[in-house]
Amino acid sequence: MSVESVDPDEVDAADILGSAIERREDPALLTGDAEYTDDIQLPQMAHMAIKRSQHAHAAIDDIDTAAAEEMDEVVAVFTAEDIDVPGNLPVGWLLDTLEQVDHPILAQDRVRYQGDAIAVVVAEERYAAHDAVDAINVDYERLEAVTSPRAALNGAADLHDDAPGNTAFEWEIGDETKTDQAFADASHTASVDLENQLLIPNAMEPRGAVADYNPSTEELEVAMTTQNPHLHRLLMSGVIDHPEHKLQIRAPDVGGGFGSKIHHYADEALAAWAAKQLERPVKWIATRSETYLTDAQGRGHETHGEIAMDDEGDIVGLKIETDANLGAYLSTFAPAVPTYLYGTLLSGQYDIPAIHCEVTGAFTNVPPVDAYRGAGRPEASYVVERLIDLAAREVEMDPAEFRRQNFVPDDAFPYETQVAVVYDSGDYEKTLDRALEMLEYEDFRERQAEARENGRYLGLGFSAYIEACGLAPSELAGQLGAQAGLWESSLVRFHPSGTVTAFCGTSGHGQGHDTTYAQIVANELGIDYDDVDVVEGDTDEIPHGMGTYGSRSAAVGGSSLVTSARKVVEKAKSIAAHQLEADEDDIEFEAGEFRVAGAPDRSMHIQEIAQQAYLAHDMPGEMEPGLEATSFYDPDNFVFPFGMHAAVVEVDPDTGELEFERYVAVDDVGNQINPKIVEGQIHGGVAQGIGQARYEGAEYDDNGQLLTGSMQDYAVPKAEHIPEMETDSTVTPSPHNPLGVKGVGEAGTIAAPQAVVNAVVDALEPFGVDHIDMPLKDEKIWRAVHENGGEE
Amino acid sequence: MEFDGTFTIEDVSTEEVWLALSDPVLIKQCLPGCQFMTRVEDPDAVDFEALRESEPDDDPATLPEADLEDISDRAFEEGAHYAALLQLSVGSVKPSFRTVVTIDERDFPVMNASGEGSASDSSFEMASGMTLVETDEGVDIEWHAEADVFGTIAQMGQRVISPVANRVVNRFFSNVEDRLTEVADDNDGGGLRDRIQDLL
Repeated sequence: MSVESVDPDEVDAADILGSAIERREDPALLTGDAEYTDDIQLPQMAHMAIKRSQHAHAAIDDIDTAAAEEMDEVVAVFTAEDIDVPGNLPVGWLLDTLEQVDHPILAQDRVRYQGDAIAVVVAEERYAAHDAVDAINVDYERLEAVTSPRAALNGAADLHDDAPGNTAFEWEIGDETKTDQAFADASHTASVDLENQLLIPNAMEPRGAVADYNPSTEELEVAMTTQNPHLHRLLMSGVIDHPEHKLQIRAPDVGGGFGSKIHHYADEALAAWAAKQLERPVKWIATRSETYLTDAQGRGHETHGEIAMDDEGDIVGLKIETDANLGAYLSTFAPAVPTYLYGTLLSGQYDIPAIHCEVTGAFTNVPPVDAYRGAGRPEASYVVERLIDLAAREVEMDPAEFRRQNFVPDDAFPYETQVAVVYDSGDYEKTLDRALEMLEYEDFRERQAEARENGRYLGLGFSAYIEACGLAPSELAGQLGAQAGLWESSLVRFHPSGTVTAFCGTSGHGQGHDTTYAQIVANELGIDYDDVDVVEGDTDEIPHGMGTYGSRSAAVGGSSLVTSARKVVEKAKSIAAHQLEADEDDIEFEAGEFRVAGAPDRSMHIQEIAQQAYLAHDMPGEMEPGLEATSFYDPDNFVFPFGMHAAVVEVDPDTGELEFERYVAVDDVGNQINPKIVEGQIHGGVAQGIGQARYEGAEYDDNGQLLTGSMQDYAVPKAEHIPEMETDSTVTPSPHNPLGVKGVGEAGTIAAPQAVVNAVVDALEPFGVDHIDMPLKDEKIWRAVHENGGEE
Repeated sequence: MEFDGTFTIEDVSTEEVWLALSDPVLIKQCLPGCQFMTRVEDPDAVDFEALRESEPDDDPATLPEADLEDISDRAFEEGAHYAALLQLSVGSVKPSFRTVVTIDERDFPVMNASGEGSASDSSFEMASGMTLVETDEGVDIEWHAEADVFGTIAQMGQRVISPVANRVVNRFFSNVEDRLTEVADDNDGGGLRDRIQDLL
């Protein structure tokens, strides 16, 4: 079932959309021709390093920079006292009850997490900057630290005067009265208390910025690791008080983000500000240790969940209470992640008549927590799918059949959930059936029973996930609190010779947009794939755009490109009609050729029309010369990809060791622009999801010190840790966008954790184990077996 | 982080071990990376640079050569504070910790001390103690320490810190053991052991 990639030259132009062509960006990435932020070298460039708090929570009594300032090669040392601009990082999503706390780019008298920035050194050379940082002496008065959201909300010392009790917000969704009634009337209930642990993002390329200021023109150019250059430009212009039109943000090649490069951090703003102060280029590149301390982390939920069923085994209600860790300050989109990106997905793939969810956001002494691949949706899918398994056990039904019985039926779409969203399209039984077929499910259950008799413990875990991608439309996002629109811009420009540059406001950082966008545009314009180039990630070149996150690029950016391309075709059609002396209504467009209906020999190719449009010797009526079009595409709704993943494991109860037997993934992401890229996204996502299920987790001691501060103690899975994935897909197009696409960037990450946990819990059912918190390290599995006596 | 252990020194008396471990000069010499250990009056206002500069080039004599009265005079006192500069090698970094230790309890054969140390990007807070137990073979030093570690050092994880802590403690006690072996050897010719007994 593995997808074979093909050479684009071997694909017919008519088939380019949907072909598994090789990624055109890969040669540069693989040979080192790619330009990452740290590859940029400018004349007179200085290097910045940041003095960070060694304590998770402390008052600062004194900062002594004298020794650092005297060191050779040091250009300048700055502390909060030197900051002459607002210097306060804004939050981009508001909630009614949200306490907005100050988030200064340099801490003045208090630090709230280990890694909070205290001072910066700019030096002629990178190592000199780091050495000088070591010479800065900070006098701390250590304060009590708290890292668990539940503990923070229950009597821990306050982090912020403006947020008493460390409560950042209280939020709810669904109908509490109706849900309570459903539980009161229910025949069966099941519940779980679980933690969805904090994760460290681990993009391959650490964050960084190179800022270059021209004092004559007041133009400030910042090349940086960003998933959304325009958003960073808007935010940074306020933070460092620099006019937006004189600030250029450029994303060179960016080595992954997983959400961590959406947010506006202090570091990039400090580099830009320092470049202005010093009137020379300044580079800042995070060390790997710094990314561990400061990249916004993901997840961090402590949740109690309950599910209720009637005596037929139908789900009648779902109740969720979550304490969400927001870290020390509000990161850019932090308030949205555990609320609208979480609570709205709690219906899963199921027809649940009553749902209620309460979320309390908590400030704690860990780095700010924000979107990380999946962002809210993995947390929702995890608690729902854990509860579904417990519910099936409670009503003594097979977990596959329990799911099937409760699925939203395929004729119920569009389906409005009890948590404020409308699913666009779906066919959940189809992915379930395909997965069961691949798993040889009935045989497996027989094998499992036999194995148990022989003292071997096999388990199978399902994950029927749903995800919401391409959060939209903007009006809705605004009503929910977004301080940004969630449309996407694009510009499709024919050059006189007939080649095309397609600009898009998204900003790929490994996803393969150069390839997939070119496929989309070539298909719409009917021109050769090689004649289309794609440009993203530069605020000086591209209309204002929203960036790449939340699996939105294909659904929103891709659709925007379709819209622009179609506008170009419309204009070209008018020119064709004029030059072919035919009525516009009689012009047919196919495979790049405009033909007069009924007179097939009278035709013009769109690339020929491009030349005519720039010659402008013979244009219709008042039409302007040129051939390009811009769109700001705002979708009607989210898109809702879905699928069924399943893990098959064997657990050794004597040692807690776990072995994967199989991992099966059947995804439905709507139409596929490039099946090889879809497969790659699923593979990477599943690997990350298994990472969370088995190995990863940011752990802190009682003082808020990060104990998993490097890859030595934080296990990002290696190839040997990941089972072979058997992937397949079904296709249920989204009716909400012209491509019928849904989004695939986060599917695997959302699906995999509960597939693994459900499999392990299934394997250990004879030992009375009904839940184990992630990560499922061998020791934890062993303890779960032995806490229950270790006896069947 | 919690550490504990027992270090056995054969053919010595509890009094000898007690006297050795009461001597700041001997401690300084035996503790790997310790550049000085000086009694200070105000633990919050220690000028480590000045102390380093005023540190004499040569230490006064310690066991077995030292005058027992001198050791007795400079011995740790309950409630007193001592400043030390400790350079440790932890993985790839070699932080110098400006450390202040307070003797919380000193009551033969039990001694408890607490302290704090800070380097540029790391620091620690520690409570530690030891009890001397006389055995048939010699003396068991039962020691324990509870440390909170902050900053870069903490980020390296317990996997890195624990071996460093064990190495420092073991080298320290081994050094002490070497000194006491010299005392035992010295006893063959003189009455040092008796004099120590008398002193206490």
